[in-house]
Amino acid sequence: MLELVAVRHRYDGRVVLDIERFAVAPGSGVAIVGPNGSGKSTLLRLLALLERPSEGEVRLDGVVVAGAKAPRAGARRRITLVEQRPLLLRGTVRENLEFGLQVRGIRRTEVNRKVENIAARLEIASLLHRRRHELSDGEVQRVAVARALAVEPDVLLLDEPASSADRAAAQTLYRALAEERARRPLAVCLASHQLEDAYRWADDVRALAEGRLSPVTPENLFRVELPSGGGDLKHVCVGTIEIAAATDKTGPAILAVPPTDIFVSREPLASSARNVFTGRVTRLTHQRPGAVLVTADVGVELVAVVTEEAARDLGLTPGGPVVFSFKASAVRVF
Amino acid sequence: MDFLGEGLRRAVALLLSGDGEVYGIALLTLKIGVIATVLACGLGIPVGFVLATRPFWGRRAALTVVNTALAFPTVVVGLLLYGLLSRRGPLGGVEWLYTWQAIVVGDVVLAFPIAAALAAAAVQGVDPRIRRTAETLGAGRWRTAWTVAREARFALAAVITTAFGHVVAEIGSAMTVGGNIRGQTRTLTTAVALYTSQGDFGLALALGLILLLLALLVNVALQTLQGRGHA
Repeated sequence: MLELVAVRHRYDGRVVLDIERFAVAPGSGVAIVGPNGSGKSTLLRLLALLERPSEGEVRLDGVVVAGAKAPRAGARRRITLVEQRPLLLRGTVRENLEFGLQVRGIRRTEVNRKVENIAARLEIASLLHRRRHELSDGEVQRVAVARALAVEPDVLLLDEPASSADRAAAQTLYRALAEERARRPLAVCLASHQLEDAYRWADDVRALAEGRLSPVTPENLFRVELPSGGGDLKHVCVGTIEIAAATDKTGPAILAVPPTDIFVSREPLASSARNVFTGRVTRLTHQRPGAVLVTADVGVELVAVVTEEAARDLGLTPGGPVVFSFKASAVRVF
Repeated sequence: MDFLGEGLRRAVALLLSGDGEVYGIALLTLKIGVIATVLACGLGIPVGFVLATRPFWGRRAALTVVNTALAFPTVVVGLLLYGLLSRRGPLGGVEWLYTWQAIVVGDVVLAFPIAAALAAAAVQGVDPRIRRTAETLGAGRWRTAWTVAREARFALAAVITTAFGHVVAEIGSAMTVGGNIRGQTRTLTTAVALYTSQGDFGLALALGLILLLLALLVNVALQTLQGRGHA
């Protein structure tokens, strides 16, 4: 189990990450979703023990491996990070794949076997003799993932692993990861700004906004300025709509509306919901068996989740009318 | 112009004739230059690495000191060394004053900050993802440093070239602690100064040409080594 505990991380005095607890369980698939600048890469670098948290600890199997003291080198060998725009080291692709194996003192014959094996699985065998300037961005990304998998870490951290890959290359990448996880208990923690990829691939999706983990799933997150006064019911403008939220907080905050707390209908419902918005369906996504994500433009893009049966009964289709309703108390503020 | 042409003709003749004194001075300069460069870079480049990569208390102040030391006047360094190495000085016991070893010490003192400051700049110029990549793949401190050095090889080669150039061209310290003794501590720069003052312009020019040739050879050698490397 790889954990961040009570971590506050600063750059030049500014808090960029503030996380009470974040854990990657053995063999799990966790996706961190958030916009650019939300702290995803910093979070991964802390988990990879490449940076020491300004406050708090990183624990591996309950043992503090980074905190007040410098990260433990032995622990670092169990965790490997592939950065968003990875760099290949000087030399050929083969030499890059060999690097992590050589520093572990693995025998030459074993190194060769592992390199051939991982190159075949990531479909980069034809690139082994090439150097970094002879590769496309997508190929570099695949080589970097292969290089990380070659050392067989317990935890693999991936920062936007498909950002430079085309669709086919991304499929190859995710297939190879799935095969690796089926083969051995590899925990994977992936940062992405693409929700669809995260949902398709991960067991657990966590949202990160302005360095803080959202207590709910990552859809419908809005950065707002909560007004002072007005009691415990605040009205804030998001896009062209005004959302009512039950909170006593003021100042900068993140609003989150859990998709499961949104009632979906064709007509406005007579209810106690303070937030009722009319719009049009923009997208229907089958999230998992029996569930449909309904994305609608109601003045701002909101996502709700309904059962397949409900979607069918309501006759929801892209472009069709829809009403989203939710209570002020359903809006999470953090 | 005749004076210059005559000097140049004399220089070429001296070089072609294999004049023992000229080549003796050149060889001593080369020996001092190579030893001082190896020592200065051997100490300065690792210090530059530490300054560039390891956060520690006083790092900024250390960088300022190293950068300031780049502008050390060579004569002042020679003077301080003279004080240390003279019979009454704290290091008088080693009896290095007016020996080629004293010139090496002076050159190391002068070239060390060059090596440290330029190596720090070279390492800081390497994309930080290289270091992180080596570390996340399990490399220890030394292997990581070597990986970063391989990426900065062109800049580090320039550090060595600059240090060597500074060492062989330096005159103030060499004159003060070496004494310009014929056959013992006379280097190319001190000899050029001496022969010019004596009016032997041809000999001075010949030695000057050798000095240029040495710098050229070192540059070519390093460029050849760099050329063998690939990205």
